[in-house]
Amino acid sequence: MAIGIIDYGMGNLKSVSNAIQFLGGECFISNDYDALCQADQLILPGVGAFKDAIELIREKKFDTLLKEAQEQGKPILGICLGMQLMFDSSDEFGHHQGLGLLPGKIIKLNVPLKIPHMGWNRLDIQKTAPLFKNLPEEAYVYFVHSYYLETHVDIVSATTYYGKEIQIAAQQGNTYALQFHPEKSGSVGLQILKNFMSL
Amino acid sequence: MQLYPAIDIKNGKCVRLFQGQFDQETIYNEHPYDVAKQWEDLGATYIHVVDLDGALDGQWVNQEAMQKIIDTVNVPIQTGGGVRTLDDIKQRLDLGIERVIIGTMAIKNPDFVREAVQRFGSKHIAVGIDAKNGKVATHGWEQVSDIEAVDFARTMKAMGVEVIIYTDISKDGTMAGPNIEQTKALVDATGMDIIASGGVSKMQDLENTQAIGVQGTIIGKALYLNAIALDEAIATFERGE
Repeated sequence: MAIGIIDYGMGNLKSVSNAIQFLGGECFISNDYDALCQADQLILPGVGAFKDAIELIREKKFDTLLKEAQEQGKPILGICLGMQLMFDSSDEFGHHQGLGLLPGKIIKLNVPLKIPHMGWNRLDIQKTAPLFKNLPEEAYVYFVHSYYLETHVDIVSATTYYGKEIQIAAQQGNTYALQFHPEKSGSVGLQILKNFMSL
Repeated sequence: MQLYPAIDIKNGKCVRLFQGQFDQETIYNEHPYDVAKQWEDLGATYIHVVDLDGALDGQWVNQEAMQKIIDTVNVPIQTGGGVRTLDDIKQRLDLGIERVIIGTMAIKNPDFVREAVQRFGSKHIAVGIDAKNGKVATHGWEQVSDIEAVDFARTMKAMGVEVIIYTDISKDGTMAGPNIEQTKALVDATGMDIIASGGVSKMQDLENTQAIGVQGTIIGKALYLNAIALDEAIATFERGE
């Protein structure tokens, strides 16, 4: 069992691999298509801008890689920008097509509060299994984002309240999307990663 | 309100300085990562690390100590000290640091801050303003300028900065309470995320900083002297229990 962390040239991936290794999991960071094809599970992390990220992903053919992995039923986890990239489109600095692995769009967060939304907020779980099993009743997770997900309620697995209810996690089949950073969300985050690893 | 328990690192060890003076240091723990773990176990949701060697040598001598902290805890970490170039910032972000604090360079070269924000995003950059009686201090606190902290913060806002860490150097390490008046002036005048730092010694100080609308407060010496119980402070100020 090895988790491939997709390195498409943006941002820090070490926090994610640290967390997985801390949990005793096996993982590797790679920007190589063939190496990533060998992974049993894939994580798409990411910080930075949507447009730059999606261009780099297409350049490396990671869009194909992810599509094939999804068809094979491999567990795929998108985190933060990686999560946003999984959906149909984003309005971040223009309109951009996403990977379309999950239905939904990424739009500007417009609430009478500080944007970007940076800090800890409550995880309001809508669907416990499988990612949010064994969590405390009051679970908090760490966010850094200015855009957020809007999708069909039936695939939403968690929300939070930040000026209004916002969708922060989605799941369809073996594809999982998290707006927050489990790798920086303390013991709650570790449990979520552990749940992903045991899929 | 976000609480930021602080770890000051010098020569790879966890120390505390008195009012920023390098000759007045106390070693609290040989292993900064032990301290980080201790804070995380008490419920810390963010950790503030001050790299004191960086502040003097311009070299990142504490990289290994920082790496160990990042490997040990699973909460975001912000750090400042010794950040002079965009590469310094990249090196820190690549290591897994969530937010890099620019200090002296922001005063010397405000355009550097603009470049940093453009390249790494405002979410991952903060500016540290050290001030004495509302005036900006520089060079490891040895000099005080004529620049008003409020004016400087506004300049930083124009560069795209969202987070300011405001340290009153006449208060830091003194346990005399933070400078509420000056910090409030900064919150009110800029509307930015202000993190109060320096002098926090008791729960009442946290009540005072929360009341003026800061984003967070850094707690240093008070934790090491057991004047504030971190778990209790987190329950009160982060979770509102």
